[in-house]
Amino acid sequence: MKTISLKNTLRLILLVSVLCNCNTAESRVYVDVSSPGARKLPIAIQDFTGIATGSEVSDVVASDLQFTNLFSFVDKKAFLETSDTPFSADNWRPLGVDAVVKGVFERTTDSSASVTVSVYDVNEAKSILKKQYTTKKELLRPLAHKIADDIYEAITGQKGIFNSRIAFIGYDEGEGRSIHLMDYDGQRIKRIVRKGSLIMRPHWSSDGKRLAYSYLKKGKWAINILNFDSASETEVFSANATDLVGDFTPDGKYLLLSSSSKGSPDIYMLQLGSKVLNRLTYADTIEVSPAVSPDGKQIVYVSNKSGTPQLYIMNIDGSDTRRLTFEGNYNTTPEWSPAGDLIVFSIMTGGRFHIATIKPDGSGMAVLTSVGNNEEPSFSPDGRFIAFTSDRDGSKGVYVMSVTGEEQHRISQKNIRAFGPSWSHN
Amino acid sequence: MKRLVVLIFAALFIVSCAQKEVVVPEDSRPIVKKEDYKDKDDGGMKDRTKNVPDSTSVDKDSIKDKTLSEEEIRVAMQNVFLDVRFAYNRSDILDEAKPTLRKISDWMLSHKSVSILIEGHCDERGSNEYNLALGDQRAQATKSFLVSSGVPATRMETISFGKEKPLCTEHNETCWSKNRRATFVISR
Repeated sequence: MKTISLKNTLRLILLVSVLCNCNTAESRVYVDVSSPGARKLPIAIQDFTGIATGSEVSDVVASDLQFTNLFSFVDKKAFLETSDTPFSADNWRPLGVDAVVKGVFERTTDSSASVTVSVYDVNEAKSILKKQYTTKKELLRPLAHKIADDIYEAITGQKGIFNSRIAFIGYDEGEGRSIHLMDYDGQRIKRIVRKGSLIMRPHWSSDGKRLAYSYLKKGKWAINILNFDSASETEVFSANATDLVGDFTPDGKYLLLSSSSKGSPDIYMLQLGSKVLNRLTYADTIEVSPAVSPDGKQIVYVSNKSGTPQLYIMNIDGSDTRRLTFEGNYNTTPEWSPAGDLIVFSIMTGGRFHIATIKPDGSGMAVLTSVGNNEEPSFSPDGRFIAFTSDRDGSKGVYVMSVTGEEQHRISQKNIRAFGPSWSHN
Repeated sequence: MKRLVVLIFAALFIVSCAQKEVVVPEDSRPIVKKEDYKDKDDGGMKDRTKNVPDSTSVDKDSIKDKTLSEEEIRVAMQNVFLDVRFAYNRSDILDEAKPTLRKISDWMLSHKSVSILIEGHCDERGSNEYNLALGDQRAQATKSFLVSSGVPATRMETISFGKEKPLCTEHNETCWSKNRRATFVISR
C-alpha cells in the first residue's frame, strides 16, 4: 500500500518532463543574471488561451519569472494583442516591452492538453522561441514551470530552476516527522517518506533521482537511499552508532557520511556499489556534516577540534585539512554553491543563528539574515538563491532568499512545520 | 538453616552499611521484607553477593536480576538513574555529575545481569546533525566513566537523540541546562 502510493507520487513528479517539439533557443543573452542591479527586462506575458484554465498556466509562468527578480511586468490592461492574435512589434514598443510571450492550447482531450508557446523579441521584431508542449491535464502546473524554464533560458542563456524541488522535513503533531517534497515555490507539497520516528534532513544526488537520509530505526541510526526511478528504498549503512548522511559525490557513486562507530563521529566515504567504506578523518573530536565541492575534489565539514564547531576543508581523500571559519563560535551545516565559488552555512552571532556565505579561501564572509533563527541553508540549482529554515514568524518554516540576502520570504505553507530544506540540483 | 543465617548476617551487614554510607532507599527497603519473602527480594540478595564471599550465590542472583520487577525498575529509575547534565557544547563529565554516576555504577555492579541504554541529549541550539554528534559524545563519555568504574562495556549501549527530545521546551538557560543531559533506560 505504501509502495503504491509512493510510486504514484514519484510518477507524478517524474512526468514533469513533458513532451515537446523544440527549436533551438537563440544564443543571444538579453539579461545578464550575474550582474545584480542590472536593468530588469520588461516582459509581457499574455493570458494563455484555448482552455478555461489557460490564464492560470500563464500566471504561474509570470510568477516564476517574477521570482528571479530579473524581469519587470507591464499591466495586462495596456496590451493591444491577445495570445490568439499575431505578434506585431509596433503594438509593444510604445509600452516599453522588450519581450512578449503568447500561449495557445489546442488539441485538448479529456486527459491531456497541448500548448504552443511563442516568445518574441520586440526590438528585433522576431520570434526567439516557439515550442509545443503536451502533458496530462493534472500536470498543468509543472508544465507552466517547464515553459518558464524555457523562456528563462531563451532570454538569459542560463538554465531555469522552476522545475526544481525542495525536499524537507515536515512535522505534524499526529504523524511526527516525514520527508516531504514541494516545488521550488512551495506548491504541490507531498509527503514521501514516513518512518514514524526521527528522520533527518535528506540529501539529493546530483541527477535528482535519489535522496539519501538518516533515520532512527528501532533505536539505531541507519542511512537509506530512496530511488525515484525504481520507486524503491534501500538501507545502505548502519554501524550501530550515530550514523548520519552527508552528500553524494557529483558522480553519484559515493556517499559521504559521518559515523561514531569508532568512538567519536568521523567522516567516511561509502562506495555505493561495493559498500567499501573509506575513513577520511581520524580525530577524537566531532567531525560531521560533510559536503562535497561541485568538482568532487574537496569536502567542507564541521569539526569541534578547536573547542567550538567550525568549518574545515579537506581534499576528497582526507588530506590537507585547513580551517575555513574563524569568526563566530558555532558554525555548522555547510553547503557548496553549484559553481564552487561560495560556501553557505549557519553561524551563531548575537545568540541567534544566521545564514552566512564565505569564499572557499576563507575571505568575504557575509551574514545574510538578521531576524529570528536561520539554519540549514541549501543552494538553488543555479546558485542564485538559498533556501533555509527560519523561526522568524513563530513556528519553523522553509524560506528562500537571493544569494545576497534579498527578497527573503517564506515558501512553505503556514499549516505545516517545515525545516531541513534540501534543494534539488536540477 | 545455614542459608537463613547467612541471610540474616547479610541483612545486618547491609543495615549497618546503610547507617554509615546512606545507601539508596531501594537497597535498604527490601531488607525488611527479606526475612518473610526472601524469594522476591532482589535488592537485598544482590547486596549480599557484593558483601559476602559466597561465589555460588552470585549466579543465582544474576538469574534473579532478569526478573527485575516493574516496581524495582521504577524505584531504581527514581533514585539511581538520575539524569547527568553537561556544560554547553561540551561532552566531558562534570564533577557535579560524578556522585550520580558512582551510584549508577554501584547499582550496575550489584545487578550484574541488567543492561542499560544511555541516551545523549542536547539543548535546542545548533544544527540537528552537530547536536546528534554532541549527544553521541555525551552518551559515550557517560559510558566511558561507568566502564572506568568497573561496569562492563557490554552491558551498556548508547544512542544520541541530539536536540530532538527535549525535557523542557522553553527558550532559556534553565531549560537548556535540563536538556543537556545523559539519561538512562534499563533495557533488561
